[in-house]
Amino acid sequence: MSSWMTGFIGLIRYRELVRNLVAKDLKVKYRGSVLGLLWSLLNPLAMIVVYSLAFQYILRIPLKNYPLFLITGIIPWNFFSGAVIASSEAIIGNANLLKKVKFPLEILPFATILFNFIQLLFALLVFFPAVFWFKTEVTPLILLYLPVLGLQFLFTLGVAFFLSSITTRYRDVRHLTEVALMVLFWLTPIIYSISMVPGKLQLLIKVNPLAAFITVYQDIIYWGRLPRPETFISMVLWTCLSLGVGYSLFRRRQRVFVEEL
Amino acid sequence: MAKLIVEVQDLWKSFCIRHNRNDSLKERFISLFDGRRRERREIFWALRGVNLKVAQGEMVGIIGPNGSGKSTLLRIIAGILHPTKGSVIVRGSVAPLIEIGVGFHPELTGQENIYLNASLYGLTRKEIDRIYDKVVEFSGLEDFIDVPVKNYSTGMYMRLGFAIAVQLDMDILLVDEVLAVGDEAFQRKCLAKMQELKERGKTILFVSHALDLVSRLCDRAYLLIDGRVAMEGVAEEVTGCYNKKVPIQ
Repeated sequence: MSSWMTGFIGLIRYRELVRNLVAKDLKVKYRGSVLGLLWSLLNPLAMIVVYSLAFQYILRIPLKNYPLFLITGIIPWNFFSGAVIASSEAIIGNANLLKKVKFPLEILPFATILFNFIQLLFALLVFFPAVFWFKTEVTPLILLYLPVLGLQFLFTLGVAFFLSSITTRYRDVRHLTEVALMVLFWLTPIIYSISMVPGKLQLLIKVNPLAAFITVYQDIIYWGRLPRPETFISMVLWTCLSLGVGYSLFRRRQRVFVEEL
Repeated sequence: MAKLIVEVQDLWKSFCIRHNRNDSLKERFISLFDGRRRERREIFWALRGVNLKVAQGEMVGIIGPNGSGKSTLLRIIAGILHPTKGSVIVRGSVAPLIEIGVGFHPELTGQENIYLNASLYGLTRKEIDRIYDKVVEFSGLEDFIDVPVKNYSTGMYMRLGFAIAVQLDMDILLVDEVLAVGDEAFQRKCLAKMQELKERGKTILFVSHALDLVSRLCDRAYLLIDGRVAMEGVAEEVTGCYNKKVPIQ
């Protein structure tokens, strides 16, 4: 337990480092492009337009205000998938820093997730008004949105600890991650709703942690209803599991990172 | 005697050399079926029972042929690598390892790299603001500070790295064979700075192949051969014996 405390204290003590790492990612990614951060909106925008076209007009999915339904799921999904892909680079991409100085290495995956989270917040800023466009009434349930987002942040952080620490040993984990994300995307109710899934398949989707998060977002924004308690519990359990496994693996392996780089 | 600031006791460090390294899950999987592709591991002992004591305010040289474990020793003292056996006690803060190819991000400018590097030490923004001008002035890179460091020359890299390390005001400075890259004027400036830091009570560990520099600057020196301390003592004597102790290949 004490290792968790030191990790947490390190994050606070080194907040300037976290800030600089996130600023570095922003600069490196968007420097030299006039539109800057706006580029990060292009991907969700294209997804929403194309999926609306394909599923609303061609496959005729029976959900009204379908673009709103899509926005609700795609934005948190993009955060998750972007963060997971970037996290495999969190350690190996900063090799030049950790070969030089001793500092709490937890900061590297944390900063990667934070960078992706900032992109998510920016996307929300732009897409959130859509909620008011499509829906005249917004329920107070929307207050649940930020806490759930925070939980998703922690869940993703756990995955990032896990992936960043095995990528130092196996460099092709990244390719595997990309395939896994593609499979996961279609097994998550993002473009369809969970109620459309036939009985036997539902089980498959219910064991998917992302499905829990996404259905909760859809419940509180799209449907305007209280999420089922078991979905909530499963979300919390997945987060604990992900952080627990991810961080203990990271702690155990971090002593050899430098030697493996 | 002044207080011991670095105390290394019976330090052993092994590395696993992986011949035919299975770097990916794919290779790992193939090697299950194809024995020839299997990874072969060999243990290499970079340090074999090193003892070293450095008192505060000392400047200690570490010399030895390539592969004798000098850099590994510095990295363990810096806390970047961990000992396999033995103990290392460091009673003070350690400045960044100064060596060729410092930890900069190529896409960021000199200024941004100064902030990033200093924050690796847990410095706050205000503290960095305070040393920033001194770093730039010492490096002599005023005109290039807003240029991405990927456009820097090796010498400029080294200038910036050295300037950051000496301005961080840490107790211990580790210098790994770096002065060779700078031009003579900057080399003199660095040596003068090291002298000044030493007078202010800072401790310096200096790895170098330049025996004359070591004997001129350092109080004491250690000669490492094959991961063992072959000789230690007054810097002039140790450097004087270098050619006798190290076989010419």
